[in-house]
Amino acid sequence: MECELVPSVCSYCGTGCGVLFEVIDKELAGTLPMKTHPVNEGKLCIKGWNLHEHINSPLRLKQPLVRSFGRFLKTGWDEAIAIAARRFREIIDQYGPESVGVLVSAKITNEENYLAMKLARAVLGTNSVDHCARL
Amino acid sequence: MKARVRRWLEEGTVDVFIGYRQVDGHPLPYCFTRENLDALDGLINSPARYALEKIATHLASRQPDLKIGILSLDTNRRALNVLGIWNQINPENITTVDADDAASGVATPDDMRTFEPVVPGPYKQQVGIDNAMSPADAEAFDQSERFSRWMYEFEKCIKCYGCRNICPVCFCRECSLEHRDLIGTGPLPPDVPIFHLVRAVHMAGRCIDCGLCEEACPADISLRLLYRKVNQILDNVFEYQTGSDPGQPPFSLLGNQVTLEPKPLDADK
Repeated sequence: MECELVPSVCSYCGTGCGVLFEVIDKELAGTLPMKTHPVNEGKLCIKGWNLHEHINSPLRLKQPLVRSFGRFLKTGWDEAIAIAARRFREIIDQYGPESVGVLVSAKITNEENYLAMKLARAVLGTNSVDHCARL
Repeated sequence: MKARVRRWLEEGTVDVFIGYRQVDGHPLPYCFTRENLDALDGLINSPARYALEKIATHLASRQPDLKIGILSLDTNRRALNVLGIWNQINPENITTVDADDAASGVATPDDMRTFEPVVPGPYKQQVGIDNAMSPADAEAFDQSERFSRWMYEFEKCIKCYGCRNICPVCFCRECSLEHRDLIGTGPLPPDVPIFHLVRAVHMAGRCIDCGLCEEACPADISLRLLYRKVNQILDNVFEYQTGSDPGQPPFSLLGNQVTLEPKPLDADK
Protein backbone atom coordinates (compact mmCIF):
# COMPACT_ATOMS: atom_id res chain seq x y z
CA MET A 1 0.00 0.00 0.00
CA GLU A 2 1.48 3.23 -1.18
CA CYS A 3 0.06 6.57 -0.06
CA GLU A 4 1.40 9.95 -1.03
CA LEU A 5 0.16 13.49 -0.38
CA VAL A 6 1.18 15.63 -3.30
CA PRO A 7 1.11 19.43 -2.99
CA SER A 8 -0.23 21.22 -6.02
CA VAL A 9 -2.11 24.32 -7.15
CA CYS A 10 -5.80 24.23 -7.95
CA SER A 11 -6.30 24.37 -11.70
CA TYR A 12 -9.79 25.79 -11.58
CA CYS A 13 -9.38 29.54 -11.57
CA GLY A 14 -6.73 32.24 -11.42
CA THR A 15 -6.67 32.45 -7.62
CA GLY A 16 -4.15 29.67 -7.23
CA CYS A 17 -5.21 27.90 -4.03
CA GLY A 18 -2.84 25.32 -2.60
CA VAL A 19 -4.24 21.79 -2.65
CA LEU A 20 -3.00 18.42 -1.49
CA PHE A 21 -3.79 15.41 -3.62
CA GLU A 22 -4.26 12.17 -1.74
CA VAL A 23 -2.74 9.53 -4.01
CA ILE A 24 -3.28 5.93 -2.90
CA ASP A 25 -1.61 3.24 -5.01
CA LYS A 26 -1.12 5.66 -7.92
CA GLU A 27 -4.79 6.53 -7.89
CA LEU A 28 -6.09 9.98 -7.01
CA ALA A 29 -8.35 9.35 -4.02
CA GLY A 30 -9.04 12.81 -2.65
CA THR A 31 -8.27 16.51 -2.48
CA LEU A 32 -7.46 18.50 0.67
CA PRO A 33 -6.76 22.19 1.16
CA MET A 34 -3.15 22.99 2.04
CA LYS A 35 -3.21 24.57 5.49
CA THR A 36 0.01 26.55 5.26
CA HIS A 37 -0.52 27.84 1.72
CA PRO A 38 -0.42 31.67 1.75
CA VAL A 39 -3.26 32.02 -0.78
CA ASN A 40 -6.06 29.94 0.71
CA GLU A 41 -4.85 29.20 4.28
CA GLY A 42 -6.57 25.84 4.50
CA LYS A 43 -9.81 26.75 2.76
CA LEU A 44 -11.24 25.72 -0.61
CA CYS A 45 -14.39 26.30 -2.64
CA ILE A 46 -16.54 23.44 -3.84
CA LYS A 47 -14.69 23.22 -7.15
CA GLY A 48 -11.33 22.84 -5.45
CA TRP A 49 -12.68 20.21 -3.07
CA ASN A 50 -13.77 18.09 -6.05
CA LEU A 51 -10.67 18.27 -8.27
CA HIS A 52 -10.10 14.52 -8.02
CA GLU A 53 -13.61 13.84 -9.29
CA HIS A 54 -12.80 15.50 -12.62
CA ILE A 55 -9.69 13.44 -13.13
CA ASN A 56 -11.37 10.13 -12.32
CA SER A 57 -14.62 10.93 -14.12
CA PRO A 58 -15.57 8.48 -16.89
CA LEU A 59 -16.89 11.51 -18.81
CA ARG A 60 -13.44 13.11 -18.94
CA LEU A 61 -12.35 14.10 -22.44
CA LYS A 62 -9.02 12.44 -23.19
CA GLN A 63 -8.68 13.00 -26.91
CA PRO A 64 -9.97 15.54 -29.44
CA LEU A 65 -13.41 15.15 -30.97
CA VAL A 66 -14.32 16.42 -34.40
CA ARG A 67 -17.93 17.18 -35.30
CA SER A 68 -18.84 15.50 -38.49
CA PHE A 69 -22.44 15.40 -39.76
CA GLY A 70 -23.71 16.44 -36.33
CA ARG A 71 -21.87 13.74 -34.43
CA PHE A 72 -18.66 13.94 -32.44
CA LEU A 73 -16.03 11.53 -33.69
CA LYS A 74 -12.81 10.70 -31.82
CA THR A 75 -9.68 11.64 -33.68
CA GLY A 76 -5.95 12.27 -33.23
CA TRP A 77 -4.34 15.62 -32.38
CA ASP A 78 -2.69 16.09 -35.80
CA GLU A 79 -5.94 15.62 -37.65
CA ALA A 80 -7.92 17.83 -35.23
CA ILE A 81 -5.39 20.66 -35.49
CA ALA A 82 -5.27 20.33 -39.29
CA ILE A 83 -9.07 20.57 -39.50
CA ALA A 84 -9.13 23.61 -37.17
CA ALA A 85 -6.37 25.34 -39.17
CA ARG A 86 -8.14 24.67 -42.47
CA ARG A 87 -11.42 26.11 -41.19
CA PHE A 88 -9.66 29.20 -39.75
CA ARG A 89 -7.99 29.69 -43.13
CA GLU A 90 -11.34 29.47 -44.95
CA ILE A 91 -13.09 31.87 -42.55
CA ILE A 92 -10.26 34.43 -42.56
CA ASP A 93 -9.98 34.30 -46.37
CA GLN A 94 -13.71 34.80 -46.77
CA TYR A 95 -14.60 37.29 -43.99
CA GLY A 96 -11.28 38.81 -42.92
CA PRO A 97 -9.23 38.26 -39.73
CA GLU A 98 -11.54 40.44 -37.58
CA SER A 99 -14.21 37.75 -37.91
CA VAL A 100 -12.19 35.50 -35.56
CA GLY A 101 -11.90 35.90 -31.79
CA VAL A 102 -9.85 34.03 -29.18
CA LEU A 103 -11.16 33.21 -25.73
CA VAL A 104 -8.41 32.31 -23.24
CA SER A 105 -8.76 30.82 -19.78
CA ALA A 106 -7.77 31.17 -16.16
CA LYS A 107 -7.20 27.43 -16.10
CA ILE A 108 -4.05 27.69 -18.20
CA THR A 109 -0.82 29.38 -17.17
CA ASN A 110 0.19 33.00 -17.69
CA GLU A 111 2.68 31.92 -20.32
CA GLU A 112 0.11 29.90 -22.24
CA ASN A 113 -2.25 32.88 -22.15
CA TYR A 114 0.55 35.02 -23.57
CA LEU A 115 1.13 32.51 -26.36
CA ALA A 116 -2.60 32.43 -27.14
CA MET A 117 -2.56 36.23 -27.41
CA LYS A 118 0.48 36.00 -29.69
CA LEU A 119 -1.28 33.46 -31.88
CA ALA A 120 -4.36 35.70 -32.10
CA ARG A 121 -2.48 38.90 -32.97
CA ALA A 122 0.47 37.64 -35.01
CA VAL A 123 -0.94 34.56 -36.74
CA LEU A 124 -4.71 35.02 -36.99
CA GLY A 125 -4.46 38.82 -37.15
CA THR A 126 -7.26 39.72 -34.75
CA ASN A 127 -7.32 41.96 -31.69
CA SER A 128 -10.39 40.21 -30.28
CA VAL A 129 -8.85 38.39 -27.31
CA ASP A 130 -10.95 37.87 -24.23
CA HIS A 131 -10.67 36.01 -20.96
CA CYS A 132 -13.20 34.04 -18.92
CA ALA A 133 -12.23 35.95 -15.76
CA ARG A 134 -12.95 39.40 -17.25
CA LEU A 135 -16.25 39.66 -15.42
CA MET B 1 10.81 8.29 18.89
CA LYS B 2 12.00 8.20 15.30
CA ALA B 3 13.97 5.09 16.27
CA ARG B 4 10.81 3.55 17.72
CA VAL B 5 8.80 4.18 14.57
CA ARG B 6 11.68 2.81 12.52
CA ARG B 7 11.69 -0.34 14.64
CA TRP B 8 7.93 -0.69 14.29
CA LEU B 9 8.22 -0.46 10.51
CA GLU B 10 11.12 -2.91 10.39
CA GLU B 11 9.47 -5.42 12.72
CA GLY B 12 6.11 -5.12 10.99
CA THR B 13 4.22 -3.72 13.99
CA VAL B 14 2.98 -1.14 11.50
CA ASP B 15 2.97 -1.28 7.69
CA VAL B 16 2.60 2.45 7.25
CA PHE B 17 3.12 5.34 9.65
CA ILE B 18 1.18 8.56 9.05
CA GLY B 19 2.92 11.65 10.41
CA TYR B 20 4.15 14.98 9.09
CA ARG B 21 7.17 15.92 7.04
CA GLN B 22 8.44 19.17 5.60
CA VAL B 23 7.75 19.07 1.83
CA ASP B 24 8.57 22.10 -0.35
CA GLY B 25 8.69 24.26 2.80
CA HIS B 26 5.26 23.15 3.98
CA PRO B 27 4.59 20.77 6.86
CA LEU B 28 2.43 18.15 5.13
CA PRO B 29 0.99 14.78 6.09
CA TYR B 30 3.36 12.04 5.03
CA CYS B 31 3.06 8.26 4.90
CA PHE B 32 6.26 6.61 6.06
CA THR B 33 6.80 3.06 4.82
CA ARG B 34 9.28 0.22 5.19
CA GLU B 35 10.60 0.87 1.67
CA ASN B 36 11.72 4.39 2.52
CA LEU B 37 13.03 4.31 6.09
CA ASP B 38 15.45 7.20 5.56
CA ALA B 39 12.52 9.60 5.18
CA LEU B 40 11.89 9.08 8.91
CA ASP B 41 14.68 11.57 9.69
CA GLY B 42 12.25 14.24 8.54
CA LEU B 43 9.38 13.17 10.83
CA ILE B 44 7.99 16.26 12.53
CA ASN B 45 4.94 17.39 14.43
CA SER B 46 3.09 20.02 12.44
CA PRO B 47 1.51 23.20 13.81
CA ALA B 48 -0.99 22.93 10.94
CA ARG B 49 -3.30 20.05 11.77
CA TYR B 50 -4.67 17.60 9.22
CA ALA B 51 -7.11 14.75 9.77
CA LEU B 52 -4.51 11.97 9.65
CA GLU B 53 -7.08 9.43 10.83
CA LYS B 54 -9.20 10.19 7.77
CA ILE B 55 -6.27 9.20 5.55
CA ALA B 56 -6.04 6.04 7.67
CA THR B 57 -9.69 5.18 6.98
CA HIS B 58 -9.10 5.63 3.25
CA LEU B 59 -6.16 3.22 3.43
CA ALA B 60 -8.09 0.76 5.60
CA SER B 61 -11.07 0.79 3.25
CA ARG B 62 -8.78 -0.39 0.45
CA GLN B 63 -6.77 -2.87 2.52
CA PRO B 64 -8.62 -3.76 5.74
CA ASP B 65 -5.75 -5.71 7.34
CA LEU B 66 -3.20 -2.91 6.90
CA LYS B 67 -1.46 -2.03 10.17
CA ILE B 68 -1.35 1.73 10.52
CA GLY B 69 0.61 3.94 12.91
CA ILE B 70 -0.54 7.50 13.49
CA LEU B 71 1.08 10.52 15.09
CA SER B 72 -1.78 11.65 17.32
CA LEU B 73 -2.99 14.52 19.37
CA ASP B 74 -5.98 14.29 21.70
CA THR B 75 -8.37 15.07 18.86
CA ASN B 76 -6.90 12.34 16.64
CA ARG B 77 -7.36 9.81 19.43
CA ARG B 78 -10.97 10.82 20.02
CA ALA B 79 -11.62 10.60 16.28
CA LEU B 80 -10.01 7.14 16.18
CA ASN B 81 -12.28 6.05 19.04
CA VAL B 82 -15.36 7.20 17.13
CA LEU B 83 -14.18 5.64 13.86
CA GLY B 84 -13.51 2.37 15.69
CA ILE B 85 -16.96 2.40 17.28
CA TRP B 86 -18.57 2.94 13.86
CA ASN B 87 -16.49 0.16 12.22
CA GLN B 88 -14.56 2.43 9.89
CA ILE B 89 -11.25 1.14 11.18
CA ASN B 90 -10.21 -1.86 13.19
CA PRO B 91 -8.66 -0.50 16.42
CA GLU B 92 -6.45 -3.61 16.59
CA ASN B 93 -4.64 -2.43 13.46
CA ILE B 94 -3.98 1.06 14.77
CA THR B 95 -0.94 2.12 16.79
CA THR B 96 -0.66 5.71 17.95
CA VAL B 97 2.28 7.88 18.98
CA ASP B 98 1.63 10.77 21.29
CA ALA B 99 2.56 14.01 19.55
CA ASP B 100 1.96 16.03 22.74
CA ASP B 101 4.52 14.06 24.63
CA ALA B 102 7.68 16.18 25.01
CA ALA B 103 9.66 12.99 25.32
CA SER B 104 8.43 11.81 21.94
CA GLY B 105 11.37 13.55 20.28
CA VAL B 106 9.24 14.69 17.35
CA ALA B 107 10.01 18.36 17.17
CA THR B 108 7.93 21.19 15.83
CA PRO B 109 10.42 23.28 13.86
CA ASP B 110 10.77 26.81 15.26
CA ASP B 111 10.83 28.56 11.92
CA MET B 112 7.40 27.32 10.93
CA ARG B 113 4.62 29.80 11.16
CA THR B 114 2.02 28.95 13.72
CA PHE B 115 -1.59 29.91 13.55
CA GLU B 116 -2.63 32.96 15.52
CA PRO B 117 -6.18 32.97 16.85
CA VAL B 118 -8.36 34.91 14.43
CA VAL B 119 -9.84 38.09 15.94
CA PRO B 120 -13.33 38.69 14.54
CA GLY B 121 -13.84 41.93 12.65
CA PRO B 122 -16.04 44.72 14.09
CA TYR B 123 -19.04 43.86 11.92
CA LYS B 124 -19.00 40.21 12.93
CA GLN B 125 -18.76 41.28 16.56
CA GLN B 126 -21.73 43.57 16.11
CA VAL B 127 -24.14 41.27 14.25
CA GLY B 128 -22.62 37.79 14.26
CA ILE B 129 -21.32 35.16 16.61
CA ASP B 130 -17.72 35.32 17.77
CA ASN B 131 -16.11 31.93 17.06
CA ALA B 132 -14.33 32.02 20.41
CA MET B 133 -17.57 32.31 22.45
CA SER B 134 -18.60 29.58 24.83
CA PRO B 135 -22.05 28.03 24.29
CA ALA B 136 -23.25 29.83 27.45
CA ASP B 137 -22.11 33.25 26.13
CA ALA B 138 -23.81 32.62 22.81
CA GLU B 139 -27.03 31.76 24.62
CA ALA B 140 -26.97 34.93 26.72
CA PHE B 141 -28.44 37.01 23.86
CA ASP B 142 -32.23 37.30 23.90
CA GLN B 143 -34.05 35.02 21.52
CA SER B 144 -34.59 37.32 18.54
CA GLU B 145 -31.05 38.68 18.66
CA ARG B 146 -29.64 35.19 19.01
CA PHE B 147 -31.63 34.08 15.96
CA SER B 148 -30.53 37.03 13.84
CA ARG B 149 -26.89 36.60 14.88
CA TRP B 150 -26.89 32.91 13.97
CA MET B 151 -28.73 33.60 10.72
CA TYR B 152 -26.05 36.17 9.85
CA GLU B 153 -23.47 33.43 10.26
CA PHE B 154 -25.39 30.80 8.28
CA GLU B 155 -26.27 33.16 5.43
CA LYS B 156 -22.56 33.58 4.64
CA CYS B 157 -22.40 29.90 3.65
CA ILE B 158 -21.24 29.25 0.06
CA LYS B 159 -22.14 25.54 0.32
CA CYS B 160 -18.61 24.32 -0.40
CA TYR B 161 -19.19 21.19 1.73
CA GLY B 162 -15.73 21.84 3.20
CA CYS B 163 -16.97 21.28 6.77
CA ARG B 164 -18.18 17.83 5.79
CA ASN B 165 -15.25 16.97 3.54
CA ILE B 166 -12.57 17.79 6.10
CA CYS B 167 -14.43 16.20 9.02
CA PRO B 168 -12.50 13.14 10.27
CA VAL B 169 -15.70 11.43 11.43
CA CYS B 170 -17.82 12.11 8.31
CA PHE B 171 -17.68 8.86 6.39
CA CYS B 172 -21.24 8.11 5.22
CA ARG B 173 -21.51 6.91 1.64
CA GLU B 174 -24.79 8.74 1.28
CA CYS B 175 -24.94 12.18 2.86
CA SER B 176 -28.17 13.96 3.80
CA LEU B 177 -26.57 17.20 2.66
CA GLU B 178 -26.39 15.77 -0.87
CA HIS B 179 -29.64 13.83 -0.93
CA ARG B 180 -31.98 15.12 -3.61
CA ASP B 181 -35.08 14.95 -1.42
CA LEU B 182 -33.49 16.59 1.63
CA ILE B 183 -31.02 19.34 0.78
CA GLY B 184 -29.60 18.50 -2.63
CA THR B 185 -26.45 19.65 -4.32
CA GLY B 186 -26.33 22.60 -6.67
CA PRO B 187 -28.79 25.38 -5.88
CA LEU B 188 -27.35 28.46 -4.22
CA PRO B 189 -27.77 30.11 -1.77
CA PRO B 190 -28.15 27.06 0.48
CA ASP B 191 -31.27 26.59 2.59
CA VAL B 192 -30.44 28.32 5.85
CA PRO B 193 -30.54 27.39 8.63
CA ILE B 194 -31.64 23.88 7.53
CA PHE B 195 -28.32 22.98 5.90
CA HIS B 196 -26.35 23.77 9.04
CA LEU B 197 -28.87 22.36 11.48
CA VAL B 198 -29.08 19.06 9.58
CA ARG B 199 -25.33 18.79 9.79
CA ALA B 200 -25.38 19.81 13.47
CA VAL B 201 -27.92 17.10 14.30
CA HIS B 202 -25.88 14.51 12.43
CA MET B 203 -22.84 15.53 14.45
CA ALA B 204 -24.49 14.13 17.59
CA GLY B 205 -22.33 11.22 18.72
CA ARG B 206 -19.78 11.96 16.01
CA CYS B 207 -18.28 15.42 16.64
CA ILE B 208 -15.05 15.17 18.63
CA ASP B 209 -14.56 18.95 18.79
CA CYS B 210 -11.39 19.07 16.69
CA GLY B 211 -12.32 22.39 15.07
CA LEU B 212 -11.09 21.42 11.58
CA CYS B 213 -14.49 22.38 10.09
CA GLU B 214 -14.17 25.92 11.36
CA GLU B 215 -10.59 26.18 10.11
CA ALA B 216 -11.70 25.01 6.66
CA CYS B 217 -14.74 27.29 6.41
CA PRO B 218 -14.15 29.98 3.77
CA ALA B 219 -17.06 32.00 5.23
CA ASP B 220 -15.79 31.87 8.82
CA ILE B 221 -19.01 30.46 10.28
CA SER B 222 -18.88 29.57 14.01
CA LEU B 223 -19.32 25.86 13.32
CA ARG B 224 -17.27 24.61 16.24
CA LEU B 225 -19.43 26.54 18.70
CA LEU B 226 -22.59 25.12 17.12
CA TYR B 227 -21.35 21.54 17.43
CA ARG B 228 -20.08 22.26 20.95
CA LYS B 229 -23.67 23.03 21.90
CA VAL B 230 -24.71 19.70 20.36
CA ASN B 231 -22.06 17.95 22.45
CA GLN B 232 -23.24 19.80 25.55
CA ILE B 233 -26.80 18.55 25.02
CA LEU B 234 -25.46 15.05 24.48
CA ASP B 235 -23.58 15.26 27.75
CA ASN B 236 -26.43 16.78 29.77
CA VAL B 237 -29.31 14.69 28.41
CA PHE B 238 -27.70 11.41 27.41
CA GLU B 239 -24.52 11.48 29.51
CA TYR B 240 -22.61 10.62 26.33
CA GLN B 241 -19.13 12.04 25.85
CA THR B 242 -18.30 11.46 22.20
CA GLY B 243 -14.97 9.77 21.56
CA SER B 244 -13.99 9.61 25.22
CA ASP B 245 -13.82 5.83 25.33
CA PRO B 246 -13.05 3.26 22.63
CA GLY B 247 -15.43 0.82 24.34
CA GLN B 248 -18.54 3.01 24.36
CA PRO B 249 -21.48 2.00 22.15
CA PRO B 250 -22.42 4.11 19.11
CA PHE B 251 -24.66 6.99 20.16
CA SER B 252 -28.34 6.18 19.87
CA LEU B 253 -31.21 8.56 20.57
CA LEU B 254 -33.20 5.62 21.93
CA GLY B 255 -30.63 4.81 24.60
CA ASN B 256 -28.54 1.70 25.00
CA GLN B 257 -30.83 -0.47 27.03
CA VAL B 258 -34.20 -1.87 26.13
CA THR B 259 -36.47 -0.82 28.97
CA LEU B 260 -39.63 -2.50 27.70
CA GLU B 261 -40.33 -6.06 28.76
CA PRO B 262 -39.70 -8.20 25.65
CA LYS B 263 -42.81 -10.03 24.61
CA PRO B 264 -42.52 -13.67 23.55
CA LEU B 265 -43.63 -14.24 19.97
CA ASP B 266 -46.28 -16.74 21.01
CA ALA B 267 -47.74 -14.53 23.77
CA ASP B 268 -51.27 -14.56 22.33
CA LYS B 269 -51.57 -18.35 22.26
